[in-house]
Amino acid sequence: MNTITHQSLADAGSYRDFSITGADSGVVKKLHRFMLRLRQCEEALSREYHPADEMRCPVHFCIGQEAVPAALSLVLGQDDYLFCHHRSHGYYLAKDAPMRELFAELYGKKTGANGGIAGSQDISYAPRNFFSGAILGGAAAISVGTALSAQLRKNPAVTVAGFGESAMDEGIMWEAVSYAALCRLPLVFICENNKYSVFSPQLKRQAADNLSERAAAFGVKSVALFGNDVIKAHAAVKRAVDDAHNGGGPWFIEAYTYRWCGHYGPESDDIIGYRSEQEVEFWKANCPIALLEAEMKRNGLLTEAAKAEMIREIDAEIADAFRFAKSSDFPTIADWRALNLNPASPRADQLLADIDFAEPAFNPNQSVAQPKGY
Amino acid sequence: MQSILRPSFKGSAQPEALPAMKQLTYAQALQQGMSQAMELDERVFLAGQLVDYKSGVFGTTGGLVEKFGAARVRDFPVAESVMTSTAIGAALGGMRPVLVHHRLDFMLYSMDAIVNWLSLWRFKSNGKASLPITIRAIVGKGWGQGPQHSKSLHAWFAHVPGLQVAMPVTPFDAKGLLLESIFGENPTIIIEHRALFSMTEDVPEVPYRVRFGRARIRRPGRDVTLVAIGAMVPIALKVAEQLTARSIDVEVLDPRTISPLDTDAICQSVMKTGRLVVADPAWKSFSVAAEVITAVSEKMGDRLRANPLRITLPDSHTPMSAPLEKAYYPDETTVVNAVTSWFRR
Repeated sequence: MNTITHQSLADAGSYRDFSITGADSGVVKKLHRFMLRLRQCEEALSREYHPADEMRCPVHFCIGQEAVPAALSLVLGQDDYLFCHHRSHGYYLAKDAPMRELFAELYGKKTGANGGIAGSQDISYAPRNFFSGAILGGAAAISVGTALSAQLRKNPAVTVAGFGESAMDEGIMWEAVSYAALCRLPLVFICENNKYSVFSPQLKRQAADNLSERAAAFGVKSVALFGNDVIKAHAAVKRAVDDAHNGGGPWFIEAYTYRWCGHYGPESDDIIGYRSEQEVEFWKANCPIALLEAEMKRNGLLTEAAKAEMIREIDAEIADAFRFAKSSDFPTIADWRALNLNPASPRADQLLADIDFAEPAFNPNQSVAQPKGY
Repeated sequence: MQSILRPSFKGSAQPEALPAMKQLTYAQALQQGMSQAMELDERVFLAGQLVDYKSGVFGTTGGLVEKFGAARVRDFPVAESVMTSTAIGAALGGMRPVLVHHRLDFMLYSMDAIVNWLSLWRFKSNGKASLPITIRAIVGKGWGQGPQHSKSLHAWFAHVPGLQVAMPVTPFDAKGLLLESIFGENPTIIIEHRALFSMTEDVPEVPYRVRFGRARIRRPGRDVTLVAIGAMVPIALKVAEQLTARSIDVEVLDPRTISPLDTDAICQSVMKTGRLVVADPAWKSFSVAAEVITAVSEKMGDRLRANPLRITLPDSHTPMSAPLEKAYYPDETTVVNAVTSWFRR
């Protein structure tokens, strides 16, 4: 049985295993700064979303789910691939993609990461091999292919696919896990199990919340952990990525976590009554940042003054990103076709003879052989 | 049938002699094209069910695994969905994947990967990325293939921006369009009608390209423009021969690619003939046949001397029973009746 599930966490009442003992203090500080920056960023964006209404795209905030992106930010290199779901901002920043271009993308500006074409839930940043998308299992399934290309081309890059437990409702995810295991691909699946698909809880959609066990049955190495424990998340991600990098084959990490906001947008959707106040309180009491800060203070790694200074720096960066986004121009489109299809074919130009016969040579008076069977 | 091969070399290179040719079947031409692509570029790989068995996919993949190994000739699990997703990721990683489906019907499991991801990847990247992926989809006909082994859904794929759709009819085009797709930069779906696999033609031995969006007049004529798609082309050509006896001169035009569609060539032909009939081996409503007629009508409807016609399958799924199957598919008689309907007094 899983040692940890949403139920076991709720039953325990509070999380008592958090510890930074043995962790490198430099790593701890970086994890903290990443989470703080992501939190400030998401809170600033959610404050600015309404009533200004200048970010005219669906935004899924990841407040409360900062730990997994923080862990990834320290482990992944520039050439490693990272795919994620629609709740994309943490992953985007985990790949060290620029905040200015994230904000400009949300504002639909031509200086955005995708020229304002994609928006929050479809954002990508190809120079850092970061890609996202809004059809749950789709991006994670594509991650199988970058892992395969790395294997075929003997490229040392590792691929990480982040997704939620709802993606595991979809058959494509199991095809992906199965094929990754079969080929021993350098691929790490990270399931952020935040319990809900919009309003619908996992146990209304699946018979058990033991995804890591089910994945293990497909032949991948797997581990479940408390996803707000950034120290454990970092250790697990590092171990899995290193192992995949060294030919150990794919991993499945299930990180139990929780989103504080509604499914999308800055407003709470608790009015629906799909989750209890007690449940939300449990997760806020076990905030990934607060858990870490308490330990850091106990160990002399953080002071309130140092934190305030950090927030000043981050807020200045955020203000700059807003200025950049708001002052940038909107895109224009000259050629819809070239936006969708590449008019050039350099490889074909180089390799193929340009022969096309003007005279018909095909003899139609041939009998069509009907295959007697398939 | 004449076979005067007078090639028009459209590239900058002007070979002095005809290229060496060899008579090949449609299936052999596809096999040769695939083999040459894999020789030319080690980033090309093939995935599909049973691609590494001796018989290959109806003779189109035989011998490849011996030459290129199992890593590049991948017998894929019966997981069409993740096969396409894997191709997308592999193309992102610099590969040029070729997928093959024994039946187009099977690839429908991968519609999310094709429509929600592959087709719009370049768009979402703001026109920066390209995914050079080739998906071969084979369409069955006859011997009771029935409703899950015979659908030719070229209209579906042609409707989606960001995809190219080719429908090669001859061995020459099968090889040239396959190579053009593999070494082009766009996602392409090649729809191959199984009924054409044994057709033969002289095929150049060199690797060559057939460009997208260039229709081919298979038979010139003055009275009627017959746009024939896929497996309807050989039927259309036979009918055109037959109708010379009745002094009806039919021009047979093979679009070769459905998306992009060479509407200029079609309009030019109709400008000459004033009559348009489209033979499309697919359901009638919302079909490529409908699109061809619309495109012509928009540009030059006032030049039509008669109402345009569609020769298609009925708006029904494919029956198994042989007599019903015969009634279902348009044949030479269907085409003769359609064309001559304009000329009856």
